[in-house]
Amino acid sequence: MRDYALTALRRHRRLTSYGLAVLVVLAANLVALLLEQWLGYSRVSMIFLAAVLICAVRLGSGPAYLASALGFISYNFYLVEPRFTFGIESEDIVILLVFMSVAMLTGGLAGRVRDEASRSQNRARTTAVLFNAGRDFAALGEESPMAERLTMGLAEAARGDAIVLMGGQVHKHSSLEPTDELLTALAACEVAGAHDLAADGWRIRALWAEGRRLGAAAWRPAASEGDEPDQTRLIHVLLDMGTTAIARARLSRAWAEIEAVERTESLRNALLSSISHDLRTPLAAILAAATSLRTFGGVFEPDVQEDLLDTITEEAERLNAFVGNLLSMTRLEADALAPQTSVFDVAEGLDRILRRYERRQGGRRLELRLRDSQLSACGDPILFEQALANVLDNALRFSPETDLIEISASRMGNHVLVEVRDEGAGVPEAELPRIFEKFYRSATANQNLQGAGLGLSIVKGLMEAMGGAVAARGNGSQPGLTLSLRLPMDAP
Amino acid sequence: MSQGGHLLLVDDEPQILRSLRPALTAAGYVVTTAETGAAALSYLAGEPCDIVILDLGLPDMDGKDVIVRIREWSETPIVVLSARDLELEKIAALDLGADDFVNKPFAVGELLARIRATLRGRDLRLAGRASFRSAELEVNFATRRAFVQGDEIRLTPREYDLVRTLARHPGRVVTHKQIIASVWGPEATVDAQFVRVLVAQLRQKLEENPSAPRVLLTEPGVGYRLASDEDA
Repeated sequence: MRDYALTALRRHRRLTSYGLAVLVVLAANLVALLLEQWLGYSRVSMIFLAAVLICAVRLGSGPAYLASALGFISYNFYLVEPRFTFGIESEDIVILLVFMSVAMLTGGLAGRVRDEASRSQNRARTTAVLFNAGRDFAALGEESPMAERLTMGLAEAARGDAIVLMGGQVHKHSSLEPTDELLTALAACEVAGAHDLAADGWRIRALWAEGRRLGAAAWRPAASEGDEPDQTRLIHVLLDMGTTAIARARLSRAWAEIEAVERTESLRNALLSSISHDLRTPLAAILAAATSLRTFGGVFEPDVQEDLLDTITEEAERLNAFVGNLLSMTRLEADALAPQTSVFDVAEGLDRILRRYERRQGGRRLELRLRDSQLSACGDPILFEQALANVLDNALRFSPETDLIEISASRMGNHVLVEVRDEGAGVPEAELPRIFEKFYRSATANQNLQGAGLGLSIVKGLMEAMGGAVAARGNGSQPGLTLSLRLPMDAP
Repeated sequence: MSQGGHLLLVDDEPQILRSLRPALTAAGYVVTTAETGAAALSYLAGEPCDIVILDLGLPDMDGKDVIVRIREWSETPIVVLSARDLELEKIAALDLGADDFVNKPFAVGELLARIRATLRGRDLRLAGRASFRSAELEVNFATRRAFVQGDEIRLTPREYDLVRTLARHPGRVVTHKQIIASVWGPEATVDAQFVRVLVAQLRQKLEENPSAPRVLLTEPGVGYRLASDEDA
């Protein structure tokens, strides 16, 4: 039906141009009759030549031939003496030949120029459609918008309706309402992979990439202006391009998933090896010290024996603290931490911790500043000590031997604030919010420095479980880091 | 205690240094400690040491790289300290040229035994001794003959190569890869399974009770060692 209309339209257009050629020759006749008085009949042949030229350039070679024949006849009939007779002399043959060859040459030339122009216009359109689609595919990166964009491009290329079935989703161009029949055909096409199944003017193609079924597309050209093979080629190239881009998007998403799994895996390995290290180091020291005492007990000087016994005690305490941290982490993860909240004296807790750390501090100075008296806070004293111990461990771990670590306690509003300020390498401003994340270790920190990056995340978990908070800030122009723990003063 | 030699202890954990130093000193070694790989390397460059005890987890560089750097110019024996579950790391360290390893945590006696065995193995190699002799086993490298408690045993060429490889480093662990290179040749692509089969074969001839070996010992996941008298 539609095809017939198109052919009719095209035939109509061809007839029109022949009609125009006749009109042009008639006009040339009029002009020639008017000018003949002044110019003489032999010169007005130029006017018919001009008419042939015009027809050749504007209407193509067919109408130009018609024009040259008509022009020759009317010139011979109306203008050449004897008028209204049809006598042919050798001179007239020359004129006819000139008319004909002008029509042929110019018409062919102009026709080629016209064809070239329309082809390059088509090419430009093809390039533009493909280029824009390619650019958009690259920019989108997600499957669904890419399928949407493919549908749009398909409609543009077909200059009609388009519909794409992709990943079980139907993407359609504008207000198109696909029939069930079409949808069934699309689904069948995706599975069977058949090409170009035509139904009701629709053309269907399966979208496969690298042997994988991705979907199917259908389009229905509304009008065919350029030559159809070009358009079909454009559509297929566009579909191939879209299919490949979507396949690539799927692949890269699959890769991202694999990578995420691998990252989790490597995180777990890092955690395991770090926990193993943190458990084993104190154990190694304890075992070495204890077996040393057993093997060489009698040989050692008393102070050496004392030192080995100290090592055993401290490392056992360290191990205990680490196990406590592991337990807290597990409980925090399981949401099973139950703080035993009471009102406790912060100064007393600080004193107890500092005594515990006296032996651990090495050459570093630990200084306690109590800025207010009567600092009683509301929280779980054991969990608070654990949190503070983690903060101190962190400060000791990241500051050089000779530095000062200042611990201060003060009242601030209805909160008690305990701050630990070190003079270590500190943390870049941008990373500050992240240091409480689990497994986070500053990129500036020594990568081989052991530690799972759990300590501060536990501190945050513990403080928040007690209704308190923890924050970190730099020391302004000074190096180092200040961590502040906050607990409410009264029971909330 | 006699002078045992100059020992460099490389570990970044101060408590390990603190707990090991007295025993090592009491055992007769002059102990120097280093907390980083760089410090260890620069110390070795200036001062010859008889043995290096190296923890593989160092703050500044991978312990394996320290081994590579030392082996570029020095044959100083290296005993590696590493966790039991890090077999691959231990194997890599041994293949890179470490002489032996001790699993952390360890009793001081175990470490001292490894140090002694390693130093003795080096002395034997330096002396170019033509034979190996322990309470159970004697291997004569010059005549390619082996004796178990005085009685000669007949070995296939492969079996002899294996026993020789192990006896060249008495008391020291030899990895699967090193055994394969020594018995089958450095280019051989032989599965560790072949080593197991060969070891089982050899044990039939060496051991009183092959299922409870006393002479040819397995280092699980790493390789094999020939018992020196100290292990007995």
